[in-house]
Amino acid sequence: MKTHKTILRDLKPKKFGKRDSIWTISLIVIIIIGLIAYIDQLIKGQEVTNMRDYALWGIYISNFVFFVATSFVGTVTVAILRLTKNSWRTPLVRIAEIISVAAIIMAGITIMIDMARPDRLLNLFIHARLQSPITWDVVIIPTYIVISLLLLYFPLIPDFAILKTHFKKKKPKLSKFYGRLALNWTGSKAQKSLQEKSIRIIAIMIIPVGLLLQTIDAWLFSTTYRIGWDSTNFAPYFISGAFVAGVGALVTLIYIIRKAKKLENYITDYHFDKLGKLLALACLIYLYFNINEYVIPLFTAKKGELVHLETLFTGSYSILFWAVTVIGLILPIIVLMFKKGRKPNSMFIIGLIVVIGSWWKRFVIVTPTLLHPFLPIQGVPESWHHYFPSLHEWLITLATLAMAFLIITVCVRYLPVIPIQRTIDEMEASEANNKNTES
Amino acid sequence: MKYLNPRHLVLFILLSVFISPLLSQKLEAQDKKKIKLRIKADYTKVIDHSSFIDLSTIAKINKKNAGIANLNLTIISKTDDDEVELGQATTNHDGKVRFLINDLNKLLKDTLGFYNLRVKFMGDDSFKKASKTLSFKDAHIETKSFTKDSVNYVSATLKDVHSDSVLTKTSLKVNVERLFKSLPIGEQFNYTDENGTILVPIERGIPCIDGKLVIEVILNDSDDYGTVKALVNTTFGKSAVIDNSFENRTLWSPRNKTPIFILIFANLLIFTIWGIIIYLITNLFRINKS
Amino acid sequence: MEDKNKSSRRKFLDNGLKLGIVSAIGGLGLSKITSKLNAANDDSSGEKMELMTTDGTLIQVDTSEVIEVEHAKEHDKKYNVREGNPNRKFVMVVDLAKCKNALKCQSACNKHHYITGENAWLKVYKMQEEKDTAPYWMPMMCMHCDQPACVTVCPVDATFKRKDGLVLIDNERCIGCRFCMAACPYSTRVFNWGEPGQEVTLNMDMTHHTPSPEHAGIPSIKGTVDKCDFCPHAIDNGELPHCVTACPNGVFYFGDKYEDTVTNGEETVRLSQLLEDKSGYRLMEGLGTSPSVYYLPPVDRLVDFEDGLEDFKEFESVEPVSPVEKPEQL
Repeated sequence: MKTHKTILRDLKPKKFGKRDSIWTISLIVIIIIGLIAYIDQLIKGQEVTNMRDYALWGIYISNFVFFVATSFVGTVTVAILRLTKNSWRTPLVRIAEIISVAAIIMAGITIMIDMARPDRLLNLFIHARLQSPITWDVVIIPTYIVISLLLLYFPLIPDFAILKTHFKKKKPKLSKFYGRLALNWTGSKAQKSLQEKSIRIIAIMIIPVGLLLQTIDAWLFSTTYRIGWDSTNFAPYFISGAFVAGVGALVTLIYIIRKAKKLENYITDYHFDKLGKLLALACLIYLYFNINEYVIPLFTAKKGELVHLETLFTGSYSILFWAVTVIGLILPIIVLMFKKGRKPNSMFIIGLIVVIGSWWKRFVIVTPTLLHPFLPIQGVPESWHHYFPSLHEWLITLATLAMAFLIITVCVRYLPVIPIQRTIDEMEASEANNKNTES
Repeated sequence: MKYLNPRHLVLFILLSVFISPLLSQKLEAQDKKKIKLRIKADYTKVIDHSSFIDLSTIAKINKKNAGIANLNLTIISKTDDDEVELGQATTNHDGKVRFLINDLNKLLKDTLGFYNLRVKFMGDDSFKKASKTLSFKDAHIETKSFTKDSVNYVSATLKDVHSDSVLTKTSLKVNVERLFKSLPIGEQFNYTDENGTILVPIERGIPCIDGKLVIEVILNDSDDYGTVKALVNTTFGKSAVIDNSFENRTLWSPRNKTPIFILIFANLLIFTIWGIIIYLITNLFRINKS
Repeated sequence: MEDKNKSSRRKFLDNGLKLGIVSAIGGLGLSKITSKLNAANDDSSGEKMELMTTDGTLIQVDTSEVIEVEHAKEHDKKYNVREGNPNRKFVMVVDLAKCKNALKCQSACNKHHYITGENAWLKVYKMQEEKDTAPYWMPMMCMHCDQPACVTVCPVDATFKRKDGLVLIDNERCIGCRFCMAACPYSTRVFNWGEPGQEVTLNMDMTHHTPSPEHAGIPSIKGTVDKCDFCPHAIDNGELPHCVTACPNGVFYFGDKYEDTVTNGEETVRLSQLLEDKSGYRLMEGLGTSPSVYYLPPVDRLVDFEDGLEDFKEFESVEPVSPVEKPEQL
């Protein structure tokens, strides 16, 4: 059995190695390049993008939708697994919470990048119109950011207290930092009951708020008349898609963090097996809604809709469409059906495929629809009939992804990625249980 | 230094190559022929309101007719032996200007009762001199509106002011005054009878605001009298149904008219969620203190 | 930790804002400079001009003051710019039977709205629903819907619906999210992706043009949406929109629905009668946007469809302007 000391030694934040530093520096470089591209966009205007009057939204928006979707992972793992009393979630929740925080913060930033007049950001508050789905977004995203932060913070308090005492002698500065965050935590009954109550409230509250976030995101599209967006199916379609993207991101990052931090004893094949089943479930639900979204309309498709569907099935977007559907969705389901497919290594690859598939899936949702307006596209330059992101767009988008990774990296560096106190508590509980059964 | 230094020569040639286009451009501008300008002038009199002359300038530029802006036109009233400058007018960006005549009595009148005007343009760097003469007599239209046997009528009598005689067999037009162009009603031609009068029934049900219908009787572009217009205020119209949906709370209203259900629903959600969030944050403080 | 995250985020926001402001100021400075350069050429003041005051008397004013007079006028309109003319409801009727794609409407619109982009506010579409149905030309502008989808989704009330039927844009408020463009089923909105450059391309002095929701295309502002505005600047002067007056074939009728009268400049008719006689319809009635633009079907056409083909440009709607060609007098 592991002792408290070994647990603490294994799980406490550790200094970066050489590989970690290279990783972090390259992230910062990508961010700086993206920042330069963004400044250029601010100066010249969005003509540096390949968006034009027809393809009026591009990867900024699809990237935004991706981030929003990924942030759903906090809701799923923490709240839903908690409510369904799945105890295997313990070593995974913190990472899920970190991803959630990083993704939703980046979603907020990405949507501002798409605004052509970020200098008028305050207008969103000064002149807010509650009829507009964008205003709902302006409300829900900060709300979700705060809730995600609280969800991350509350369970961390006892761990901060442990780290404070642990680093007291060796690193007084770090200890002071953790001490401040630990809020005088002594583990007293009053504190514990307050903390537990708060966590329970957040865990319940984050479900409706998380669902609302995904729903509003879907409504951004489905409140327009556009073919391919004007669908009552859109909100559940987005929620299930977010489920897939979130769990996919979780699987991928858990694998990496486990490797980097050598947590094989804590995050075991068992956890990957469970996660694999969860991911398979997510993909199946998403597939169901995909069928609703793309197959059923075939039967009643009006002319414009038929053209849109044909572009996806056999036309110019067919390769991308089938790639994200078959490789990004159906293939994972098949692989995850097998026990071998749910082993860490194959899970990592599946997770990666799912995440990349999810990113491109958003592109397929946003772009083809915009290029199929009700009236023919005429009187505009030939290049406006198509859309593929420009260099600026790619650089800025890469930078937002890098920034999300950087937030995660910093969190992983300074926070215990697996809850220390909870692991100790659970171990003690199971030991007590064992003793009870033995005697 | 008998000979010119070849290096200087090269320099000179180079210089001249650069300068010559500039020079030739200037020369060209001076050589450019002045453009011919046309002036149009139309006299209009609105009874009991105003008299004015609509002036417009036209020139052919790049093979297209265009109105010329910012030209100074001088308007002169003249008879065979006398002339008076009435004023000046400058054309607007469309090359048009309206010159108002406040008092016809200030104009010179010839023995036949004609007012003769001359509109002159003095010419400038790009346009040639131009002028246009215009002559008209003063006419008057007397109008009346009444209802007889539940039919609405407008009657109008056309008179020459100088000779104080009615004008017979002259075609008058009857229109409803509208925002942009008047709407013709009734017959296309209404000839005045021996009393110089027309009688026009006004159909029912012409929409307008508050039933107030303004009928105009027009002597249109007559050779002798120009355009003479009389306005008759009647209540012969049918009140148009005003769409008041602008005042409603709709999805497309400004934010002070947001639909109630959205207000309630959104605020309920926002305040509940943020209430809980604030409670959670106070919990953090309570943990800190205990 | 989260505090740090928050503050870094705030910092980022802050920086972003600052950057935005800096670039905006930079842009402003640039435009000021260029306008000053232009102003230097126009500064031949001292000329007098005649103006008519509201009570009908003529006064003499120095030309340099004229612009300021206009400028002041714009602020004390008789009506609220966001509410529009009281007791008016503007409508347009487009007679497809007369349209032969002469494109005079488009060039007039481009000219009078100082359009510099690549996408005109008014376009004439080459339409053909099916292989076996007849092709026709269809001028398209903003439909000024009574239930406008674009206004519904605007988060900041930058685009708005007026009492008199007009849907306008406040370019001073627009945040450039382009949601309205996504929402418009008629794809009629255009975006200033870059600097509109009206000073440069059209050689115009922008100093005296304060933006107004009735902005008539000047000045267009980078990062904001533009579209057909039904020419409120012309309406205020009792003039018809530029496309109406420019059309040689009398395709466009314009008027006030409450007066039940529309005119194409040549003939003036009762709106209800016209729609009844020629079975007028509105575009995509099924969507429930209830547009203010009516179409008359292309029946009994006076011109061959093919005649319009020579003017048809699939990939262009705004003729490029070369500043040199413009005579200075215009």
